Amino acid sequence: MSDQPRLPTGRRSVLAALGSGVAALGSGCLRRARNLTGWRSAQPVELRIKTLPADADPYALRLARRVAAWFREAGIGVDVLPMAEQELVRQCLLRSEFDLFVMRLPAKFRDPDALTTLLHSRFADAPGWQNPFSYTDLDADGTIERQRRTSGEQRREALADLQRTIARSQPFTMLTVPDDVRAARTADDTNWRAADLTDPMDYLQLDRGDGQLRVVGTDRRATTNLNPLSVEFRRSGVLTGLLYDPLARPLDGEYTPWLASSIEFGTDEAPTAQVTLREDVRWHDGESLTADDVVFTYDLLADTTLGDDESAAVPSPEFRGRRTLVDEVSVVDDRRVTLSFVDADEDVARRALTAPILPEHVWRDRTDPAAIGGIPVGTVTEALVTNNIPPVGSGPFEFVRNTPRERLLLERVDDHFSTREGTALPGWIADSALDALSVRVVGSDVAAVEAVTDGESDVTGTAVGASTVPRIGRAEGTELLVRRSERPYVLGYNTGRPHLSNPRFRHTLARLIDGAHLGEDVLDGYARPAVGPLQGTEWYPDDLAWDDGNPVVPFLGQHGELNAEAARASFREAGYQYDDDTLVGGAT
Amino acid sequence: MSLLTVLSNVVAVVLLLHLVSLGTLRWLSGAGICRGSLRENVRTVGPTAAVLGALLLANGTVRDVGVQLSWLIGINVTGAIHAIEGGFVAGLQSYATPPLTAYFSFVYVFGYVFLLTFPIVLYVLHDDTRPLSATLVAYALNYGIGLVCYVLFVAYGPRNFMPGAVESLLFANWPEVQALTSQVNENTNVFPSLHTSLSATVALLAARYRSTAPGWLPIAAIGAVSVAIATMYLGIHWLTDVLAGFLLAAFSVGVGARFAERRHGEDGTESLDRSRGTAGGVVEQFRR
Repeated sequence: MSDQPRLPTGRRSVLAALGSGVAALGSGCLRRARNLTGWRSAQPVELRIKTLPADADPYALRLARRVAAWFREAGIGVDVLPMAEQELVRQCLLRSEFDLFVMRLPAKFRDPDALTTLLHSRFADAPGWQNPFSYTDLDADGTIERQRRTSGEQRREALADLQRTIARSQPFTMLTVPDDVRAARTADDTNWRAADLTDPMDYLQLDRGDGQLRVVGTDRRATTNLNPLSVEFRRSGVLTGLLYDPLARPLDGEYTPWLASSIEFGTDEAPTAQVTLREDVRWHDGESLTADDVVFTYDLLADTTLGDDESAAVPSPEFRGRRTLVDEVSVVDDRRVTLSFVDADEDVARRALTAPILPEHVWRDRTDPAAIGGIPVGTVTEALVTNNIPPVGSGPFEFVRNTPRERLLLERVDDHFSTREGTALPGWIADSALDALSVRVVGSDVAAVEAVTDGESDVTGTAVGASTVPRIGRAEGTELLVRRSERPYVLGYNTGRPHLSNPRFRHTLARLIDGAHLGEDVLDGYARPAVGPLQGTEWYPDDLAWDDGNPVVPFLGQHGELNAEAARASFREAGYQYDDDTLVGGAT
Repeated sequence: MSLLTVLSNVVAVVLLLHLVSLGTLRWLSGAGICRGSLRENVRTVGPTAAVLGALLLANGTVRDVGVQLSWLIGINVTGAIHAIEGGFVAGLQSYATPPLTAYFSFVYVFGYVFLLTFPIVLYVLHDDTRPLSATLVAYALNYGIGLVCYVLFVAYGPRNFMPGAVESLLFANWPEVQALTSQVNENTNVFPSLHTSLSATVALLAARYRSTAPGWLPIAAIGAVSVAIATMYLGIHWLTDVLAGFLLAAFSVGVGARFAERRHGEDGTESLDRSRGTAGGVVEQFRR
């Protein structure tokens, strides 16, 4: 498909003509041939959408196919290719081998500063969820930098500008924001509704009579890999969030000191933070957690080789955004460290404190280039690719055992600091009745729901489709949990590819998509349309609200019916042409 | 219902089918079953059976490795297959009715296992060694070639590629079965359809050796056609997978039969003669 470069037909036929006869050797003909080779013929526009199969995600493939159908109506050749999640991440986020993908954005991009790594041109070549679109826009860069340094109204204005820019130039198109649908065992006091099951700490709010929580899902990755730095194996970060502790956690909407007993902010030229760790914190293997581990972690996140300034750094893609907020971390004494931040507003800088702290005595050996059978492969370090089983964390839960691709069991740590007196943490954390959490993997969302309705599991841990709702409703002892999700489905564009590098082309593609229709038709109404990633937060400008449709890239049609004529006119306006109903443009 | 329950269901139903079929053995196989066949057959085809057994074991243990390798070196042909055949499976599903779904689900799970295991029982009791030997060789070829194809080609079935247009009828109506199928296979292993190829292998062998078990041929033929349709009707396989399955079956049977005939004699006349003389031993065999 468009992955292979084509020999321009013009040049090919000229070569053939050259080889075919003696007459071609005449100097006049050669000159003519040279003139001709400068011209390349227009090629049909062909795109491929990569996404997940239906077993792994209830909607991704249907969304991709609906989008592909609209694109085809506009004369674009599109095919859809499903692949396993690990492979999809590898191809799209690590190797940039894609034209378009349909995936869900990670929840971290609900924090405005996280958009730095998603959209700033500095990260256009970086792996993972760091500008996978290779999007480069100086205006966007400017607003991203501005929002870091400002607060209040100024920051709001900068973020509004950024969102208007990306709504126009479309590095990715927001398809729809799904609701998280779950099936859960009804128990009198489980407290399902108060807990947000995408937040690790909220699991501690669940009140299970026997202290057991059995989660069932379709994602087997966590049963084979528990590395918080891994790009391909992390989804929501719930499990690694329970295994590892950060210096501060967002609790009830506030950054609350967690591993730290206190964090005092000061301002020099840039903000600094004096962090004091809690007393007697231990890793799951019994070693003490000290200030050295904190400094080591921030050094490792910045460069997993821990090399000097002269060798190329290999930062952790997952925590790059947070790490770029920190300038330096230094040890004061055994329990105290000083973090000095880059030139950023204090409220923005706090986010850097949520990175997981890793044990130096385990990770120190993982800074060499990763090897297969003793032979180093590329520059990636062991730290980024190790499966990290068993994980040694300091979190409220510890690893007990796993059966690869089938099961995982975590148990509550006795005497975790969060259960002690006088921590100043909310009471429900110390009083949590949850003793063990098990994860079981099944083949599809229907099988996951069935495991809950049969009483083998307590709750579904990965998204289940709206088509399972009647099944959940019919079953005895099972309730339906529906909650707004923070993770929109997006159509990502590889702006390094022909045509997709053109913002006007992307803008027109976005106008072939009816977000409202996708929500109603594909997700049976368990969704809402959205324009930008920060929709629904305080940072979202009113003029981008979705009222009667997308205010910036309105759908070229009505109620999901594309007006093909209008679409064609729009592409022609963008400099494209039609050849027998096929969209053709520039040489590819 | 857990994996264990599903598994015991399958074992129970297939055993029942076996018992019923064995009851009609004389009708199925005509003559040719005699005392001593069992021991002799086991001895002569022992090595072949060992190869098949090793292959099955390997299939189970290297499945994960195969999948990893497949994503590394395999070609993702899902889009290509869809481009070739389009919405054939969706069209087939438009005829879906609850009784048909029940029938094909039954065939896909229980019928298939019976279809694969019964010929072994049938031929092992028969005094002509060739069908048994050919069956084992053909099974081994099916699994071996199938495994290689699964590494070389990554493909998702229609239910995974066109949700909405094609329904996952089996797993939607009977989700427990997915616990079983996901134990024995991956959802990226659809090209070719081993369900089809193994069932077709059984039918082709039944046709080739119809003189040894004339009653078995119609059952095997109907079963094989049903399984092939079931794989598509249930949204699990593409038409392309099924056709490739038939090709694989034809090849495996060709090689298997040639191997058996070269090794155990060109024709079974000698053994047939002998069996006629001792046809009365059939019943005796089963009374034991």
